[in-house]
Amino acid sequence: MQRRLAELSNLQFSLLLALPVLVFLLLVVAYPLGYALWMSLHQIVFFGGYRASFVGLDNFLEVLASDDFWWSAWVTLRFTVQSVVLAMAIGLCLALTLNRPMRLAGLVRTIVILPWCVSLYGTGVMFSYLAKGQTGLGTAIAYAFGADEAVNLVNRDWVIEVLAVGNAWNMAPLVAFFLLANMKTIPSRLYDLAAIDRMSRFETFRHVTLPPLRFTLFVFTCITTVLSMKLFDFIFVLSGGGPGTTSATLTYQIYKESFKDLDLGYGAAMSFFLLAMILASTLILYFTWGRREAHRA
Amino acid sequence: MRRGVLVTASALALGILASNAQAQMELEATTDQPIYFRGWQYKTDIVQDNVNRYNKEMAGHIDYATVTGDYPAIMEQNLMAGAELDVLYANPSQAGRYFDGGWIMPAEQLGNIDEIKADMYPNILDAWTYKDQLLGLSYFVSTRGVMHVNLKMYDELGYTDADFPKNWDELYAQVYEIRDKGVEQPLLPHWLNEWYGISWAFVFEVMNRGGTLADPETHEPMLTTDENGQAYKTLAAWKGLWNDGMVPEEVLTYNESSYIDAYASGRYVFSPQQLYDLETFNRPDRSQIAGHASLLPYQGQSWGLLDSAMYLMTSREREDPVTEDVKRFTNWYGYKDQDGKVYVGNRWMQESMLFSGYKSVMESPEAAERMKSALARPEDVKAVLEVYANTPYPKGVWSVVWAEEFNSWLKETLQNFLLEDGDIVETIEAINEQIASLNEKYGI
Repeated sequence: MQRRLAELSNLQFSLLLALPVLVFLLLVVAYPLGYALWMSLHQIVFFGGYRASFVGLDNFLEVLASDDFWWSAWVTLRFTVQSVVLAMAIGLCLALTLNRPMRLAGLVRTIVILPWCVSLYGTGVMFSYLAKGQTGLGTAIAYAFGADEAVNLVNRDWVIEVLAVGNAWNMAPLVAFFLLANMKTIPSRLYDLAAIDRMSRFETFRHVTLPPLRFTLFVFTCITTVLSMKLFDFIFVLSGGGPGTTSATLTYQIYKESFKDLDLGYGAAMSFFLLAMILASTLILYFTWGRREAHRA
Repeated sequence: MRRGVLVTASALALGILASNAQAQMELEATTDQPIYFRGWQYKTDIVQDNVNRYNKEMAGHIDYATVTGDYPAIMEQNLMAGAELDVLYANPSQAGRYFDGGWIMPAEQLGNIDEIKADMYPNILDAWTYKDQLLGLSYFVSTRGVMHVNLKMYDELGYTDADFPKNWDELYAQVYEIRDKGVEQPLLPHWLNEWYGISWAFVFEVMNRGGTLADPETHEPMLTTDENGQAYKTLAAWKGLWNDGMVPEEVLTYNESSYIDAYASGRYVFSPQQLYDLETFNRPDRSQIAGHASLLPYQGQSWGLLDSAMYLMTSREREDPVTEDVKRFTNWYGYKDQDGKVYVGNRWMQESMLFSGYKSVMESPEAAERMKSALARPEDVKAVLEVYANTPYPKGVWSVVWAEEFNSWLKETLQNFLLEDGDIVETIEAINEQIASLNEKYGI
């Protein structure tokens, strides 16, 4: 006699379908996050035998009391703002250029996307050569004009700007390609109508091209903000947080505390402040800009 | 008579063959498991070639690769995680920490350790011994911070050997004198942006001046803030150079190769450099001052500090026969091969003038010949050996578990001291406080 199986409800069935994703998320997000939280509440010692002692919120309070943390938070903010503004501006300019009819358009697009394909480590090495006085572009130009002094841009006044330019160079092509894809969906008749209305180039850009790009611009501002705030390898290779601590971003500080000083609890606590900064930035962007664009869309 | 000679010669030959066969058996790999050998990037083609020889002649399965980036931190993470790592390069300051973490197996566990120790110079043996254990075998020994002098410029400025500064104070006085003669930046200081850069520069200058950062036994901080103290004089001299614009800020961004290239360009008269780089600076294909790269001799004050590296064996979990293979490879690579020669050590001497911790390498006629051929003048051989013999080792801040943490902190602190025109007394006090707090952190 065949036993009849009970039928699953819609909810049970959808949960069953979602189970692999939930397990996956639990493994790759919840576990590391939970472990980091556990570390941030402990003092972990590796020498003289591994031991972890519960210290409550001490690590968090220590971070807040640290001058290094506040300095790094400021450096992170400065670097992020410059990176995002540059990446978005360069990305938009590239997209506008690529959107015009041109010969060998495919080749040009391939060349434009190349910087995004370079690893951040490679970008760091390249910009390090370009910006340092001994091998740099500034020195080459200065020498070409008869000067005999090296121009070093990896100094306390300009290192953050050099980092921001390098970061933007790496990210801008991605921004450009998404904006370009967006531009391609704008009906050409809108440009014809703009021409009939005798709109200038700037007016056409403002009233025809820009409106459908706004949501994409918002999304990529969020993405570049998050990527810039959590950037490490490029900074490590180019400036190593220096000169001194001039370019020591929060990621660099966390690396130093966690992996050089082996203060894993303190480093984990600091990483939660970085997470808070990232969440706060994206929320601010959403409430001041994204919500409006979402309504428009 | 003739037959007697033949018999003796045959017996000797057989004896040598038998002993080589015995050595072969003791050094040959016993399993087909890979042994993971990692190091920093320095003449990797030579290392690979040495490894290939072991793999070919000793049936080894050595997997060699280099590590780029922040070497001490990366290796520490690998060791802590029990990653695939069996033999590695390390400076003594890192080795002590690894030992305290329980991640390495000291060289004491090698069967022929007494022979190895007997072949080592006592000061090197002392530097590499931590908590009564010899931690590793000799990779290289050198003096970092030996004061190189560009004889081409020095002669053109009207100086002779008789004018060579005898100590740091005289050196700075002469640097200013040269500046007044029209050379804007006569000295390239050891302030490079490597983990062994500006922090080591401070450590060796204080030691050369006769000071001590921390007690070698108790590790208590020992710097004083009085104006005649070694740390005060060092920082005051640095501040003077910096504020007078005699050092380009970009030195703080140099890596090792930029630093070598800068001095090899011939723009500077003096620079504290690695001892073995005299060979580099005297090579016409590498340097603008080839044939003119010399050094300040020892005249009562040391120059630089004892920079060295060892081959360490990890203690990660693995089967006993594999651990035996690790010991065999380390023995072959870090000491004698199956022919009874310190093959790798001698090769480094011949290729790059890297000194060894072993007497059998350093006192060989080949080593003397190599030094002669690498140096600008015959008399420099004596100068090199004297400077080397008088080089101090900062046991108080290196033979201690917090050595690398302190080093990283000191690097940032000293760079900030220059960039922000820091206060000398406050900086010295901060150094003492940092040492004290690290002692407290580790219960020392």
